[in-house]
Amino acid sequence: MTAIENLRKGYRKNIIHYLEHPVSIAPLVFLRIAFGAVMFFSIIRFILNGWVEELYILPKFYFPYYGFEWVQPLGETGMYSVFGILGVSSLLVMLGLFYRVSITTFFIIFTYVELIDKSNYLNHYYFVSIISFLLILVPAHRSFSIDTIRKPSLKITSIPVWIIGIFKLQMVIVYLYAGIAKLNYDWLMEALPLKIWLPAHADMPVIGSLLDELWVAYFFSWFGAVYDLTIPFFLLNRKTRSIAYIFVIIFHLATALFFQIGMFPYIMIVMTLIFFSEGFHYKNLSCLKAIFKSYQPQDDVLSLYSIGSYKNRILLIILSFYFLLQVLVPFRFLLYPGKFFWTEQGYRFSWRVMLMEKGGTAFFYVKDPETGKQCEVTNCDYLTPNQEKMMSTQPDMILQFAHFLKEEYKRKGIKDPVINVESYVTLNGRGSRLFIDSNTDLSKEEESFLPKSWILPFNENKPSDK
Amino acid sequence: MRYKIILFFLILFTGSLIFVSSCKKKNEEENKPEFDRKGMLTNIGNNSIIPNYEKLKTALQELDTAVTAFNASPDLTNLSALQNAFKEAYKAWEINSVFEFGPAEQEMLRANLNTFPAYVVKIESNITSNTYSFDDPDNITTKGFPAMDYLLFGVGADNNAILAKYTTDTDAANRRNYLQAISNYIRGKVETVNNAWSPSGGNYINTFINASGTDVGSSLGQLVNQLNQDFEMMRTPKIGIPLGKQTLGSPLPAKAEAYYSGISAELALTQLKAIENIFLGRSEAGVDGSGLDDYLAYLKAPYNGGQLSDAIKNQFTTAITKLQAVPDPLSSTVQNNPAIVDAAYIELQKLLVLLKTDMPSALGVLITYQDNDGD
Repeated sequence: MTAIENLRKGYRKNIIHYLEHPVSIAPLVFLRIAFGAVMFFSIIRFILNGWVEELYILPKFYFPYYGFEWVQPLGETGMYSVFGILGVSSLLVMLGLFYRVSITTFFIIFTYVELIDKSNYLNHYYFVSIISFLLILVPAHRSFSIDTIRKPSLKITSIPVWIIGIFKLQMVIVYLYAGIAKLNYDWLMEALPLKIWLPAHADMPVIGSLLDELWVAYFFSWFGAVYDLTIPFFLLNRKTRSIAYIFVIIFHLATALFFQIGMFPYIMIVMTLIFFSEGFHYKNLSCLKAIFKSYQPQDDVLSLYSIGSYKNRILLIILSFYFLLQVLVPFRFLLYPGKFFWTEQGYRFSWRVMLMEKGGTAFFYVKDPETGKQCEVTNCDYLTPNQEKMMSTQPDMILQFAHFLKEEYKRKGIKDPVINVESYVTLNGRGSRLFIDSNTDLSKEEESFLPKSWILPFNENKPSDK
Repeated sequence: MRYKIILFFLILFTGSLIFVSSCKKKNEEENKPEFDRKGMLTNIGNNSIIPNYEKLKTALQELDTAVTAFNASPDLTNLSALQNAFKEAYKAWEINSVFEFGPAEQEMLRANLNTFPAYVVKIESNITSNTYSFDDPDNITTKGFPAMDYLLFGVGADNNAILAKYTTDTDAANRRNYLQAISNYIRGKVETVNNAWSPSGGNYINTFINASGTDVGSSLGQLVNQLNQDFEMMRTPKIGIPLGKQTLGSPLPAKAEAYYSGISAELALTQLKAIENIFLGRSEAGVDGSGLDDYLAYLKAPYNGGQLSDAIKNQFTTAITKLQAVPDPLSSTVQNNPAIVDAAYIELQKLLVLLKTDMPSALGVLITYQDNDGD
């Protein structure tokens, strides 16, 4: 064995040694409880807002993801049952009862619901999906849980450090990519879209009049970019952590105040606590100690979580692949030509939050090639207002709707309908202009990961050719 | 270390601010006056919505008087007076159609008063049986202005034949009752809404003025949403469908609004002008006050190298001119001269894009209640 091989082996051993280094299970337990609680609250809120009906029962047509066209909603009883299961499983996750089963159920059902209709895509739903996936892989139920009361032998006090590490890494990825996404001309140099959004709140008490000022929009834009790019490092550093967390709270509460982004700020505020020390979490959990103490006489005995090296290796492969995807997927947009915010090819699943103001109107025309006659479609006959809004600015959804119309008009008796769309889109307050080539017969175009040639280029200075 | 991070942020922000402001040309003027959103709502509410509802209420009172007079002595003079009163009331309604939020939304005014085309068979069976309830959802197409349009203009070939239906016909008495019942129904609905707006009644005007945010439930949000909805409900059912836009170009003249009285184009024009008035903040008396155009101008929303507010104003003018060129009855025009209707339709479409896409985007108004993390 050469010296280099020896060194390499030692190096690898050191990394593995570091990853296996035992730490307290407390932060992980906190994450489980917090995640379950926030999810339970979110699900209840979703149901009470009437969104189950509005988003998953009433629509006549859904926009499934490419490759997931088989994912369909289950009707009224079905969808309410699905949300019932989500509520119960999130509660079980929080309590740590039948943990692996309940978190797996939650992940599958939640992801199923999100796959039904991409008009409901939100970055934080994606975030919830992947966090619940990661939670399946870890023993978050093996302390302060009903499972450990049921089966005291499950109880452990320590886990290898990588288990906390994967959640921190995931958070770092979210923040960094959200920051990188802000490094574009409109955001930094034009303060767009904040320049449009902030003055809309000019009637707010105290700060209202400030929001009308141009420099405030620039300040918020730059603050947001710098915040996203630096906050993970300040959170990782023990010395700066607590002050950084104050910034986390301020930042996310500010976004909650200005934008209609639902649970996202609160989920991030809670989840960011994973960066805090084991001591911090242990202290917080100690209020639960009283409940669990009587059941767990061996509380002070240190026991380490360990799984066989065979299972470890599988986990390592899964996680390496997972994080590779996490790092690469947001950059897939580089493979597509054209102005990215305009074409939105490769936009989703990349932590692009509140980055642009986009609005559109799409007129669909169905032509009978045999007679040359055409008719105009009333979108709202088939789509909810939210679906119509989302569809109007996103090419893949325009194509899906065109295909739906093709089938619809075939049933109405047109043998081979030609589907054209005349759509106008405004991006970041620049006047609306033609978005899709209105001569393209969308009924003949197929969805794929290849660039869509029928998206017209965004011309910065050219006025719309109406 | 804590101070270091604060210092880091501070230096970065001030640095970036100085950088940005030095990059920017200094033509962004200082101390621009703030736009008074509440003032705009006050203007639209007090000078447009309330007086227009009052005007509609008066027109409906006159219609009701004409109905009573006609029913008391059904003759040609009273019929013609009633027909005129009806046309005036219908026009007054078109002006108020856009205010479908708050009290009007609660009464579902637009659906209850103006779902067309009227379902003639059901109207006739209601008259014959003389038992019906307008609150029954099945009766949505047997009441309101479209039903009255049929009853006053469509039951006979000319006014003599129409009159006979109210005098010598076997169901004459029932028909007179039905006419009165519709008049009462329309009046009742509008007076409920009118009272709800009035400061001495439900005082919704106060709610309207004070909901001065930009969220979906705000008055601005509702105004923008309803302006668009009302516009689309004018463009498609009143012009597009009769023109055959949804039936491969085959016109459907009988689907026109006010098919029997034949004032469809005039009604659509009235409605378009009413929407323009809201956009301009023009009062019922015709005074141009604070409106959405002023708000857009204040925000300096750009369009094609110019101002969005000007673009929309000009497009309103163009669309109104083109619609004015469409002669009534629309049901004949869509068959004899579809090109002239199509020309108006195209301009309406251009206007729709501006109102539905550019305006809400520039105002930062949300259209749906759902969570939203970017567009």
